[in-house]
Amino acid sequence: MDLYLPIAEVSVNAPLLVALGALVGFISGLFGIGGGFLMTPVLVFLGIPPVVAVASEANHVAASSVSSVIAYSRKRAVDFRMGGVLATGGVIGAFLGVEVFRLLRLLGQADLVVSVSYLLFLGVIGGLMLMESLRSILRRRRGEAPAVPRDRRPMWLYGLPLKVRFPKSRLYISVIPPIVLGIFVGILSAIMGVGGGFILVPAMVYLLRMPAGVVVGTSLFQIIITTSLTSVLQAGRNQTVDIVLATLLLVGGVVGAQFGARMSSRFRAEELRALLGLLVLLVGLRMGLDLFIRPDDPFVLVSGAG
Amino acid sequence: MAIDLPPPIPAVSAALTETEVKVTSGFRGADIVIYGAVFDPAQRPSDVVVLVSGPEQPIRLAEKTRVAGVWLNSRPVVFTGAPGFYIAASTKPLNQIASFSTLRELNAGLDHLAIAAPEEQRVERRYGVRDMVVSRLGADYLDWRRAVIRLKEKAGLYAAEPDGVHFVDRGLFRAQLALPTAAPIGKYDARIILFQDGRPVSIRDRTLTVEKAGLERNLYLFAHRRPWIYGLASVAIALLAGWAASVVFRRS
Repeated sequence: MDLYLPIAEVSVNAPLLVALGALVGFISGLFGIGGGFLMTPVLVFLGIPPVVAVASEANHVAASSVSSVIAYSRKRAVDFRMGGVLATGGVIGAFLGVEVFRLLRLLGQADLVVSVSYLLFLGVIGGLMLMESLRSILRRRRGEAPAVPRDRRPMWLYGLPLKVRFPKSRLYISVIPPIVLGIFVGILSAIMGVGGGFILVPAMVYLLRMPAGVVVGTSLFQIIITTSLTSVLQAGRNQTVDIVLATLLLVGGVVGAQFGARMSSRFRAEELRALLGLLVLLVGLRMGLDLFIRPDDPFVLVSGAG
Repeated sequence: MAIDLPPPIPAVSAALTETEVKVTSGFRGADIVIYGAVFDPAQRPSDVVVLVSGPEQPIRLAEKTRVAGVWLNSRPVVFTGAPGFYIAASTKPLNQIASFSTLRELNAGLDHLAIAAPEEQRVERRYGVRDMVVSRLGADYLDWRRAVIRLKEKAGLYAAEPDGVHFVDRGLFRAQLALPTAAPIGKYDARIILFQDGRPVSIRDRTLTVEKAGLERNLYLFAHRRPWIYGLASVAIALLAGWAASVVFRRS
């Protein structure tokens, strides 16, 4: 059943999009990421204009994140205070990122920056996560005691002013690192058209050293806030949100997210991280590949207001 | 509508079976059917060319070049004068119907579209000739121009159909042209040209509108007239759907 999208101005196969939404929603609920880094490239591949894909995908991510955050908060696995601090940074970053992206589009370098960002961030983060989690899985298989959790939390985290207590995360740290992290993720989100969960989750685990139990729920909570804002900004400034496309995706997404959130407790944390690491690494390499392969046609049409 | 004067002889006359294409949620492309007749008591050999062009859309084009093993985009070049949709249909290949210069004059055919990159041009004095138009793209200019056509053709938006016009009876011709789903919304011009002995002897212009209708139109207008409310509404749908799913699943 084909459906014509009013904003994207292309015809798409509706059941296919619902199924894709469900699949990405499932992954989103399972790993606590938005899933934008998977969905945006797929939508572009299906022929939807990139600007519309990025904007409408934000809507889908918000929906599946709400669905799974409610599931996580019932398990008391969301640190709303930390999520709020991260989201404050995220909002600032989103505004900056939208401007940076506009500039890049005018220069015709948006494609390049997007490809390099995917390769760099997804590749490095995916690779590190995969290595770390495989190491701890191997250690457990050999029957060794888990590595003594060395407190490698950098000292400067404690030296900064504006300390706040985060009881859920059992942390007493300055708000500056989470805000800076939020800004950084916000900028990347706007440029790459993603929620930024794949950066937030590892940063919360390895940098802020939050307990693994609350990381996923908290990341999703911050993603809801930034993607909702992105959606409204994109619709208001660029008129690029396709409500029909977003609705098709989120119908599947919210259901998939519920199953994902339920499945997550059946896996061990390091197994989940290994899977997520592998997924992130593969997407990063695939996106980066375009930089090195000779293009079919030396000329490309570039988007952006002329 | 103006009443057309009785055509001088020889002349061509033509009509579209539909002058409005409605784009609704079930839109899967449409067929534009053009009927017409050639009036020529002398019955000299005639050729008919049908040119359908959509609303103009500026194009930004970049060239990929390899720098240190990585493929990078060059500075984008803006081309104007390119229609968002273009079909040149004829009774036989255009170059067998008329000469290069005639076709160029009429902007007939993919090779003769008036596509230019005005920002790259400057007027200067060269070889003692004043007011020469020189493109900054230099000798590669033709490659760029060809790339515009090629990429549009690949997207299904430009086409040449050298056998797209058929004579169904003496003096009566018909052309059926496919409008893809990606075709832009707006006003289209259909120009029907009668050629005899390589010269255009009669021209007819018809218009066609492609517009959104029904729900598609309402949503499109909502998105453009009340963009902020539209944005809030779409986020509200997303948040409600997420909440609803979690309520439903809690019960089950």
